[in-house]
Amino acid sequence: MIRRLPASGRVALSVVALLWLVAAISPLFAGRASEIRLEDRLRAPSLAHPFGTDDLGRDLAARVVVATPISLTIGLVAAAVSLSVGFGIGGAAGYFGGATDLLLSRLIEVVLCFPVLFLLLALAAFLPPSPTTVVLAIGLTTWPSDARYARAEILKAKSLDYARAAKAAGASPMRILVRHLLPNALAPLLVSAAFGVSWAILAEAALSFLGVGLPAPAASWGGILSSAPAYIEEAWWLALFPGLALFATVSAYNLLAESLRRATTEAGGK
Amino acid sequence: MVGQTQRVRRSGEEELTRFLLRRIALAVPTLFGIVVVVFLLVHLAPGSPASALGSAESGRRVSAAARAELRHLYGLDRPLPERFVRWLGRVARFDLGESFVDRRPVSERIREALPATLALNGLALFFTLAIAIPIGVAAGGRPEGPFDRGSAVVLFALYSTPVFWAALLVQTLLCVKLGWLPLYGVSSDPAPAGFAGLADRLAHLALPVTCLTYGSLAFFARLVRSGVAEARAQDFVTAALARGLSRRQALWRHAFRNALLPLVTLLGLLLPGLLSGSVIVERIFAWPGLGRLYFDSILSRDYPVVLGLSLLGGVATLAATLAADVAAALVDPRLRESG
Repeated sequence: MIRRLPASGRVALSVVALLWLVAAISPLFAGRASEIRLEDRLRAPSLAHPFGTDDLGRDLAARVVVATPISLTIGLVAAAVSLSVGFGIGGAAGYFGGATDLLLSRLIEVVLCFPVLFLLLALAAFLPPSPTTVVLAIGLTTWPSDARYARAEILKAKSLDYARAAKAAGASPMRILVRHLLPNALAPLLVSAAFGVSWAILAEAALSFLGVGLPAPAASWGGILSSAPAYIEEAWWLALFPGLALFATVSAYNLLAESLRRATTEAGGK
Repeated sequence: MVGQTQRVRRSGEEELTRFLLRRIALAVPTLFGIVVVVFLLVHLAPGSPASALGSAESGRRVSAAARAELRHLYGLDRPLPERFVRWLGRVARFDLGESFVDRRPVSERIREALPATLALNGLALFFTLAIAIPIGVAAGGRPEGPFDRGSAVVLFALYSTPVFWAALLVQTLLCVKLGWLPLYGVSSDPAPAGFAGLADRLAHLALPVTCLTYGSLAFFARLVRSGVAEARAQDFVTAALARGLSRRQALWRHAFRNALLPLVTLLGLLLPGLLSGSVIVERIFAWPGLGRLYFDSILSRDYPVVLGLSLLGGVATLAATLAADVAAALVDPRLRESG
């Protein structure tokens, strides 16, 4: 699969790998990130502090590095929740069809009607604040698009010759699903997963930026950004650098998803 | 001959009526589902909303009186089915209750915040389409050409830019460093009169509208691009060119129409995205619209307002998708068959 990726996809994959590497070594910077030096508060970027310092004099670069595993992990786990729920419900709707499909499709449509952030905020704010709450809130509000995608893919796969041949040969529905449909759903699953992670990272950042994300002292990039508006007149670096990390991560995952989609659809077309 | 055309036309009308009825019939369970989900929102918190109100984590202490009122309002001491029927009855009468914050009817508070959000989202929608459609047509006119590739990269980067980060950056650059535009608010205080007042309001609108617009450009430009690119290769566009139409005319009058239909169908689903964006944009730019009202109500646990706005958002989206589907079916008879 990696060999089929276009150049942009390999770049994206390298960036993602690099980010996880940064996440892996981030504990080394934990001390520096939490060191409060009020006499050094709101210093502009310099050699000593490449990203400047925050309102408590903490080194912003270290804080951004330490936030990396938090944002990445929450994005990954939330996307996994969303994918499992979405592919479960969408897959069942597409596979069983009939009344099941009618019912599950209504359910998908109902959730899609709500502004995602409305539901997300309500869940995140009304449930006790914790990483689990954030993960569940994101997973439980973003699954409908995964579900719609899974449903369409299963419907498409069901009508393909190999699935019909397996049915004609007397394979049970379960066997067709596990042995024939699932392996072919792997590519769309990967594409959804990559988009899902980028979406979940953004959602977590938005929640933390609005102040209803992870409880203190854990700080994701969105959490660091939430202090930027208060100092917008004096400390531009507070907004620039955490956002840059977020932007790089989100674009890398989006680009990866896009390249995966291109690689798989082109391979399928041939 | 005449009888035959009439018969064909009548069956076409019947088909349209059947389509409309089926579409509305499918919307009824969805509407019911929306009402159920909003009902469940208030029962999310462990125990009851009343207990969440006083929880230590929320950082807000709510008086016993308010808690009792909440219990009474939602009949939390009653069994779930009874609560649900009561909620259904209140929704049917458009009775959304009173805000906990200022005791005024929820519908009144929503009505006050609505114009600000309509102005913001209406302009954002307008600019999204006004920018995305020409880009999509130009890109689809020469697929894989320099403009197609270049615009794809720019739109992709914009799509990946978190809106709160973009807002902070433009505020820093345009408001703080250059001083061209106001940081936030609807108008200066005191607001200038006459023409200067209008210019002042537009200056305040510029950044929020930009922030609400740029993210959805990629999606719509891509949609138009694929429709135009697909049509471009087809005989009717070649024929139009052969008849002597200019490239521009052939693309806009013939190829673009092919992309118009999916565009119309998806317009309805734009609404929830706009409302989501409004929450963040209105918060950053202190814009007194529905998004900010929703966020403030979440923070102050003003459940009646939260529920009212969620219901409004869901129902408005459902209505918009329904209208978009009907509009598409009116334009394209083929759609009436699949329903």
